[in-house]
Amino acid sequence: MEDAVSSPAHASLLPLGREVPFADIELALGRSGLDDGKRAPGRALTATIVVVGPHARLAEAAESVEQLTDVGVRAILISDGDNPAPTVRVLDHAIAIEELRPDYLNNAVAALRLSSLPTVVWWRGANPAMLDGLADLSDRLVLDAEDPADVWAHVSVLSERTATSDLRWARLTRWRALMAQFFDIPEVREAVGAFTRLSIDGADLHAARLYAGWLSSSLEWTGGVAIELRAVAGPAAIERIEFGNGEQALTLRLGPSGSCIEASARVQGHAGASRVVSLGDQCLTTIIGEELRIRSHDLAFERAVAAAQGVV
Amino acid sequence: MSVNPLQDGLRLEPTPGPATLVIFGASGDLTRRKLLPALYRLSRDQRLPARFSIVGVAREEFGDDGFRQEFRDSLREFAGVTHEDEVAHSLCERLHYVGGDFQNPAIYQQLAAQIQAIDSTGGVLFYLAIPPGAYPNVIEQLGTAGLATATGSGWRRIIIEKPFGTDLHTARELNAIVHRHFDEEQVFRIDHYLGKETVQNLMVFRFANGMFEPVWNRRYIDHVQITAAETVGVERRAAYYEGAGALRDMVQNHLMQLLSLVAMEPPIAFTAESVRDRKMDALLSVQPIADEHVVRAQYRAGWVTGSEVPAYRQEPGVAVESTTETFVALRMQLDSWRWAGVPFFLRTGKRLPKRTTEIAIQFRRPPLQIFKRVSRSSVAPNLLIINVQPDEGISVRFEAKLPGTRMQLAPVMMNFRYGTAFGGNVPEAYETLLLDAMLGDPTLFARHDFVESSWALITPIHERWRAEGRPALPEYEAGEWRCRESDALIEREGRRWRTL
Repeated sequence: MEDAVSSPAHASLLPLGREVPFADIELALGRSGLDDGKRAPGRALTATIVVVGPHARLAEAAESVEQLTDVGVRAILISDGDNPAPTVRVLDHAIAIEELRPDYLNNAVAALRLSSLPTVVWWRGANPAMLDGLADLSDRLVLDAEDPADVWAHVSVLSERTATSDLRWARLTRWRALMAQFFDIPEVREAVGAFTRLSIDGADLHAARLYAGWLSSSLEWTGGVAIELRAVAGPAAIERIEFGNGEQALTLRLGPSGSCIEASARVQGHAGASRVVSLGDQCLTTIIGEELRIRSHDLAFERAVAAAQGVV
Repeated sequence: MSVNPLQDGLRLEPTPGPATLVIFGASGDLTRRKLLPALYRLSRDQRLPARFSIVGVAREEFGDDGFRQEFRDSLREFAGVTHEDEVAHSLCERLHYVGGDFQNPAIYQQLAAQIQAIDSTGGVLFYLAIPPGAYPNVIEQLGTAGLATATGSGWRRIIIEKPFGTDLHTARELNAIVHRHFDEEQVFRIDHYLGKETVQNLMVFRFANGMFEPVWNRRYIDHVQITAAETVGVERRAAYYEGAGALRDMVQNHLMQLLSLVAMEPPIAFTAESVRDRKMDALLSVQPIADEHVVRAQYRAGWVTGSEVPAYRQEPGVAVESTTETFVALRMQLDSWRWAGVPFFLRTGKRLPKRTTEIAIQFRRPPLQIFKRVSRSSVAPNLLIINVQPDEGISVRFEAKLPGTRMQLAPVMMNFRYGTAFGGNVPEAYETLLLDAMLGDPTLFARHDFVESSWALITPIHERWRAEGRPALPEYEAGEWRCRESDALIEREGRRWRTL
């Protein structure tokens, strides 16, 4: 868990933004582009995104958030701290509130979220107790904590109040789809009942655990499959996934470029389905942008998280 | 446990089961410009099945290697892939080629053997990207070789490009040939306009919103304008275009599809048959088009998108006395409860000032002009504009008070643009349609009866033109909107074409 209190030496979150009193935020947003002689182009607004977390992790997200405001999203960045009267900056459709006292988080979000449009909370860490109030104000909660153990334990409760997801889960989409596409091949579906071992290598064991939880809950394993998660150094959350029984295997492997996944099936009676597909754009802006397009509960995620708790 | 339990809740949209795509016309323009780039993008985005292959068929003796080189060239030229990436390399390995004359039954045997060798159990999608004159032969040969019939768990489908026939008679003949070998549910008559986001969104806009449908009728709508304007001339298609003209090339397919989507009644469900039934109803309500409700014209020399361009008759491959229309405008009347008395004006042409396709719904003015005394400007009617291309989106024009102490009115436009509202990439129409055909979803494809009914409206116009012999065709200047005869068509009813 990161230190929830930011140091005063932090650079501000929207350095090009205008500092305004909290009460004048809406006025400042309405005049955006007018004061310097430009007129902001009209556009359709689609959602509010509220980014909450420690200052350092919000700074990382700020650039993505600024890009999201170009596509009709109001972005509210709130770093946690202990200030009841925090500094507020406004830039186009983005608002940054720095070091706000946790008690007032809900009040700030309630005042600033766009009415009648979805509100998505992007949770980058901070005190999990704050999630309860936010869940009631949000249509979707996207978890993105460095160590997700605490918040994942709350997912079943949070999911009763709002749709939940996790950026790790989003990043696993391509890996999941490739495995799922193997199962479209009749020979694979026939062989998979005899598979006894799942091994996942990667730098992020939380992601590996979530993937294993997904397979386990989707295929309704009851203990016949040994799961082996191995931490390997490197930039990739997942390096390699193999599901099989020694003689037969479905293998997904990160390509040498790091931008593709090589998928191959070694199954009796099957001519082979080796191919390479793109890992997709994994940058933060794209991933969170995709999250904003989803409106519904993700039952597969909720089941996967629950199952992941039991994966050691 | 469902058939594939891992597909449950997967965020990527469903992918087809194992499949082989067979492209007839593998060396042609459509394949290079549209199909191969679309397949690359689908592969990159993980939308293709785990077991997927492409077999190209064409007259040239490329061999597998030659076809693969065509693929690489196509990606470089039309998909911006300057060097072969891992996805392109992987897809390239799954490209195969059968060369030979389409008339020769032997190539269909070769093709059958190739499909068997690649995947004997998956589905096979045949894509006819060949000149329309070759359709009957290829379809007959596929049927005779037994390739139209599914084996085991696989399926067989066929995509047929437009134009589907050249008139009602030939369309019926072609449908009869197709149906000798393929059931209707195996047939996907492609109209790439239907793959565009805005065209699909038109149904969402109308039927997923409660506020528009109540005013979508003759009580509130004054008239509808559908425009498909191109800046290009005939380019390398003179041989085809000389025999087709704007009416066959654009109106019979694209504009009729747009008209039916605007005019259709709500389907009972978003299913292929329900949607296509309602579109068909709309088309059947269109009254025969009287002679005075059609204008044709041809462009003379002018200036378009920054360059001088020759007259149509000076274009390479065009007859110097050609009477082929490069522009056509029509007034259509739909005899239905919803649309009685609401004219639909359609126009399309080449060498117009800008490339744009739009549907404009013009609403009636308010019944009482209460601001007439206080505002000098007259109240502009409300407009709903559906931009189909290039800037896909929806705009609404309404009146607003100008800021100030006086009551002064001005029209304002509220814009929704796909490119900026949601972010992300908007898929190319061919990506959507190829995938739908592999998934067996015909919603966005034309059904046989739609094609025939559309030709039934258009063919009498052609017959009248043919009977006229070689009249002096009205002209319009390339790069100008103004066409006197077309303007008269709409203005005699007190309306005006929108200047786009």
